[in-house]
Amino acid sequence: MRIELTVNERKVMLDVPPSETLLTSLRERLHLTGAKEACVEGECGACTVLLNGRPVDSCIYPTAASSETQITTVEGLRGTDGKLSPLQQAFVDHFAVQCGFCTPGLLMTLSALLANNPDPNRAEIQQAIVGNLCRCTGYVQVVEAVEAVVREAQR
Amino acid sequence: MTTEIGQSSVRSDAVTKTTGSAMFGTDIALPGMLHGRLLRSPVPAGRIVKLDLSQVVAAPGVHGVSTAADVPDRRSGLVLLDAPLFASDFVRYEGEPIAAVVAETRELANQALEFAVLEIEEIPSVTDIEAALAPDAPLVHPDWESFDTSPGMTWPRSGNVVAESFADPEGVEEAFEKAAYVVEDRFETGRQYQAYMEPRMAIAEFDGQRFTIHVAHQFPYNVRDRVAGALDLSPSQIRVIGHHIGGGFGAKLDTGLEPYAALLARQVGRPVRLANDRPEDLLTCQCRENAVIRIRTAVSEDGALLARDVEVLMDSGAHATDIPFLTSIPMHVFGSLYRIGPVRIKTRAIYTNTAPTGAFRGVNGTHLYFALERHMDHIANELGLDRLKYRRSSLQSDGAQLPTGQVLDDAGILSEAFDAIERKAPWAELGIGPNRGVGVAACMWLTNPMPGSVTLKLNSDGTLGVLTAATENGSGAIATGVRQIAAEEFGLSAEQVIVTMPDTDAAAFDAGSQGSRTTHIVGRAVHEAAVQVRARIFETAASLLEAAVEDLELADGAVVVVGTPTTRIPLADIAAAAQAAGGPISGSGSYTTPMPSVNPTCASGLLFPAFPTPTYHVHVAEVEVDPVTGGIRVLRYLVAQEVGRAINPQAIRGQIQGGVAQGLGYALWENLWIDEGRYMQRTFEAYGLPLATDIPEIEIVLLEHPDPAGPYGAKGVAEPPIIPVAAAIGNAVADAIGISINAVPITPERVLEALVDLR
Ligand code: FES
Ligand code: FES
Repeated sequence: MRIELTVNERKVMLDVPPSETLLTSLRERLHLTGAKEACVEGECGACTVLLNGRPVDSCIYPTAASSETQITTVEGLRGTDGKLSPLQQAFVDHFAVQCGFCTPGLLMTLSALLANNPDPNRAEIQQAIVGNLCRCTGYVQVVEAVEAVVREAQR
Repeated sequence: MTTEIGQSSVRSDAVTKTTGSAMFGTDIALPGMLHGRLLRSPVPAGRIVKLDLSQVVAAPGVHGVSTAADVPDRRSGLVLLDAPLFASDFVRYEGEPIAAVVAETRELANQALEFAVLEIEEIPSVTDIEAALAPDAPLVHPDWESFDTSPGMTWPRSGNVVAESFADPEGVEEAFEKAAYVVEDRFETGRQYQAYMEPRMAIAEFDGQRFTIHVAHQFPYNVRDRVAGALDLSPSQIRVIGHHIGGGFGAKLDTGLEPYAALLARQVGRPVRLANDRPEDLLTCQCRENAVIRIRTAVSEDGALLARDVEVLMDSGAHATDIPFLTSIPMHVFGSLYRIGPVRIKTRAIYTNTAPTGAFRGVNGTHLYFALERHMDHIANELGLDRLKYRRSSLQSDGAQLPTGQVLDDAGILSEAFDAIERKAPWAELGIGPNRGVGVAACMWLTNPMPGSVTLKLNSDGTLGVLTAATENGSGAIATGVRQIAAEEFGLSAEQVIVTMPDTDAAAFDAGSQGSRTTHIVGRAVHEAAVQVRARIFETAASLLEAAVEDLELADGAVVVVGTPTTRIPLADIAAAAQAAGGPISGSGSYTTPMPSVNPTCASGLLFPAFPTPTYHVHVAEVEVDPVTGGIRVLRYLVAQEVGRAINPQAIRGQIQGGVAQGLGYALWENLWIDEGRYMQRTFEAYGLPLATDIPEIEIVLLEHPDPAGPYGAKGVAEPPIIPVAAAIGNAVADAIGISINAVPITPERVLEALVDLR
């Protein structure tokens, strides 16, 4: 079926089977491999993208249902000037990245959090990412990166 | 001049990993690539009565199938050659490969496998390590005697015992006879899945002569050798190229899908990709082995540890993998930390009809120290002594000897680690209040000594290239450690150092990211290579500056004349001048840690005889137990860790925070429960990984005792933080509820059971 949607502010047309997931369309048709495939069960958040600003597990989201929506992937987080977003930069500076396989998903979930709540406390940040598994970091430096963004924004 | 050592320089891969442009193994796609899938055994033990793939071959999009009939009739392995590529007559664990199919897409390959006709007659299986030792237990491999070992490797094995190590020093019985107390415990520990986020994968190409295999693997050289072993090839026929690794934690050290990808690529003449789906990955991963440990200690009236008797049973699963090496580890653990008389240790690894187990960060250290440190609490309680004071009064000091005869020159660091924790959180103030408890556990652990190498080259723009087959598994050892060490050697900043991704055609051998070895070993190899490279830099600069070599130094990307900093020449100019004159500047270095001396007759089957470059650790946990739900909350967690020299403190902090998080998972939640040889969980959710809301911030003290052999004094860092966690938590829980739980994970069910028993 033919689907029209916007991905990272670019209009795209796709012709996909009805069962195809958004993750497959992004990775295999649009070559946006930032969103990762780790479980395909909606259990780990590695495939998280924003759909109309809301985080979804793209591995269980049918492309067919994303017609006329705005999708943002990790590749779309940089500013038009190519600069990292404040959250991306904080991940770099605060060692929130180890192997990095969970990183795109965490960035998407947390970007949505900050868009809705620019001043989350520690518990709110932790709660926001219970759907994003990270096996490497033990999460603390991820949370600290978000806190750094919040502090910076308030200066 | 600024120094890189001790700076929290950002990771070289941090930016690409936050923009989505870093290419992981599973992101690689080659032109014309096909997709392979494995037909795996649905049962733990059985005889293959019928295998008919004719409908599979005829299915849409299929390019070929492969079974045992298509491969050399041989078994291979890391040290014991006991694993066939495909089961032919019998299957020995659920998930064992029986056949492979290659098709246009992964979906078509999956669909084709639906048409496989497979009949298996189930046979009695052995799925419990204690039952496997019974004289009438079925043998997992009735033909075990025919298995070859790697050249020069022998050790005792028989029947279901795949490896045994036994030490029986004099004086054990006598000590037990005169003991005032004999303290005895039995421990049971679970099977832990590494649960890296990127499932295992491999892509192979064959050009008619040689193979190229793309991996996201901790040990590319082992892939090369193991694929060669499995397919009866010469190792140099295989080139292995490494990409970013989405976590490994030991599970990506042995081969997995690579031999199958190579086999299929040769068969169909196109690149072939295999990637596990998550249930398949969980089912067939070489997890941390479950174990049973019995320990008995003879103690004198005043608390001296007179002698000890230990028995360890480890579940090897259906194949040996690296488990025979691990049967040596109890020899380095049960006589460590505290002064003790003779220690008798019998360790056996047992075959069962379950997926082969293997390396997971900390290997069996997690359960051995759980046993040792839970047992130490038991002894203190028996003596009526404070658990911390008793430990401190029993601590080994510099020059202590392990049961192997290895001398620990710096065991006194342990005492310093206890002091460091006490300063941060006084023992007497922890675990106060109803249902609260505190636990302490220590450990001593090695830095893996295996060899590594680098080649350095000075680039024409004055940056430095580092060519190595070492891998960045996420720990930061390459992305921070090795890079910063190389920068320091040349007065550069870390951003001016470029480390290649691994390629076995280009770089010499490296033993992979295991046992915290990369920063220590590869960093030292950098140091060796830098001596030659600097000599050529100075020689070239001396002639350009018309100065004596002795008067030159490297600083801020240039060679300067000491005392006249304005007389300088940038490294870029030196590179250009040298290239025109004698040729480009490059140099190589290698390193492997010399093994400490041990008494070779101290035990049989001692395949891993010593613990080189030891580091020392103390962990303290404060917990609260909910008596209604049995749930355990970690209130505080402290770590004092000796690191030699902290090259990058923030990266180290990440290793400790992440390692303790995995340790908490092991201690409290994670286990593959096995029912009649089958794992009861198949998904992340059912398995139960720690979430952001489960993990407290770890309070960390780093202790530095620079190692004269290490680069800038660095020792291994990343592996040990997982090791004492279960022990510290177990001790804290016992303190909180007043009853011992000698099993991990310490689940709410086990807590409630213990509380019911108490009432
Ligand atoms: S891959 Fe989508 S939630 Fe895990
Ligand atoms: S950084 Fe490796 S899974 Fe999160």
